[in-house]
Amino acid sequence: MKTAAIEVRGARRVYGFGPSAMVALDDVDLSVQPGRFVSVIGPSGCGKSTLLRLVAGLEPADRGEVGIHGVSPEEACAAKMVGLVPQTPALLPWLSVLKNVTLPQKVNRGAARRRAAIGEAADRVAPPEPPDMAELLRKAGLAEAAHKLPGELSGGMQQRTAIVRAFGLQPEVLLMDEPFSALDEFTRESLQEQLLDLWDELKTTVLFVTHSVSEAVRLSDAIVIMAAKPGRIIDVVNVDLPRPRGRDLLKTPEFHHLEDLIRDKLRGAWHTQVA
Amino acid sequence: MTSLDDYVATSPETERPVTEATEPSRYSLRHPKSRIGFLHPKVWLPLVVMLVVLGVLWEWGARSMPYLLPKLSSVGAALADEPDYYLRNAWVTLWEALLGLILGFVAAFFLAVLVSERAWARRAIMPVAVVLNVTPLVAIAPVLVVAFGFGPEPKLIVTGLICFFPILINTSVGLRAVPAEVVQVYRTLKASRLEMLWRIRVPSSLPYLFAALRIVFPLSIVGAVVAELSAPGAAAGLGTAISLASTMNRLPVVFASIAILALMGSVLLLLVTMAERRVLHWHETTKGAAG
Repeated sequence: MKTAAIEVRGARRVYGFGPSAMVALDDVDLSVQPGRFVSVIGPSGCGKSTLLRLVAGLEPADRGEVGIHGVSPEEACAAKMVGLVPQTPALLPWLSVLKNVTLPQKVNRGAARRRAAIGEAADRVAPPEPPDMAELLRKAGLAEAAHKLPGELSGGMQQRTAIVRAFGLQPEVLLMDEPFSALDEFTRESLQEQLLDLWDELKTTVLFVTHSVSEAVRLSDAIVIMAAKPGRIIDVVNVDLPRPRGRDLLKTPEFHHLEDLIRDKLRGAWHTQVA
Repeated sequence: MTSLDDYVATSPETERPVTEATEPSRYSLRHPKSRIGFLHPKVWLPLVVMLVVLGVLWEWGARSMPYLLPKLSSVGAALADEPDYYLRNAWVTLWEALLGLILGFVAAFFLAVLVSERAWARRAIMPVAVVLNVTPLVAIAPVLVVAFGFGPEPKLIVTGLICFFPILINTSVGLRAVPAEVVQVYRTLKASRLEMLWRIRVPSSLPYLFAALRIVFPLSIVGAVVAELSAPGAAAGLGTAISLASTMNRLPVVFASIAILALMGSVLLLLVTMAERRVLHWHETTKGAAG
């Protein structure tokens, strides 16, 4: 079996001390094979963002292990194997769109060597050449925006820029934390399509945190369902819908059936939490 | 004349960016060039009316209180009489002010970087800086003159100190005002501390730095003048010219010197504002509110 792209074992994370302590994650196990698109869904406070931050190496686990292609998140980040798309676009307002998406290539220049070393050990192909960012922007429909400042773009275009910035690294693992939650329904759907197009082209492993059921069903190969207090994984549902997933798929009974299934499980999680 | 305390205590203005830091920044879509031009009467007419009103009030005051206010015409005559005298002294004061400002800026900027990068430095330095910031430097100026003599040193120190705190406080806030999610993105890329500082923190701090510079450029002149005023034997400078002229009761000379100081301060402020518009064309503060 290949090394998992994301491997979380017995992860526990507690915020605070004593009686006010909050168990954000309790005994979480998750294994994501390379090239899979996996969504994480659950009510507020179920620790889905915490899980993402553990994988991104932004927080340590209090107990348990997190691995990315067999190395720690810190090593994976140092090799620029991890791309992050946060909730807000997090663009630098003084840089043009093109400069914003190329800046990741300019920092941490030692990463390519480290990535090659990890790639060999994990029996992965050598990291690809850095892509032409102008070309990638064009594919994302941002050709005309390339020399504009982020402040001159709409929210949807800003978030698209943030996605291109993350894909530009050709990361082994792409972590997305509710990237479309601040956008309107139409922009959201068109961005989902573009995300799938980009993902199709630059096959990479995606961990996608969301609280939208239809978004999770449309995008994912598998959906991880979490519950709160303590934050834990209650179920993993495989989504066996055919790809590419165009707009028509959203109307099919299979799609609705999956949506209902996920909703039922989420409701179940919510009830056990209240009881 | 405005006392130094008034300037040092303008912490509301100094602290304004602190509150901005807590809310997410919004970047306006308006382009800076889309404002109405300076030649439109809507722009210049109110100011011209205001100046005429002030001029009339001044002349009325000068006629009824000749021992307090000189006529504008006699101030003009004083200036026209010996322009070299004012130019020479203005040059000395300007030089003291700008050199002191540069010294204060360099020290404050490097300390701001240290304070923003290391928590222990912040905890040690910032409380002291805040207390010193509200201490009236006019009170320290005579002591410095005693310690460093009548040369340029006490003037540079006073000016440097006055400029130091607004720059330190604003820049250290600005360096830390990077949104958390930007930090997270570049942390997952393992950008080094230096890369974060140079490529992200320093550019983000520029709006805060310019807010400080708008305060500090005119303030540097205040610092130089205060230092000159508290060093009675000082050789030159407009502050010296003012204290000499006032002991001899030459009101037109006093006000001519004050007018030149005001002009110098305004020109410096204008230059900072122009530089800010250029450098910060991407930032909302440069769109709308004039310096």
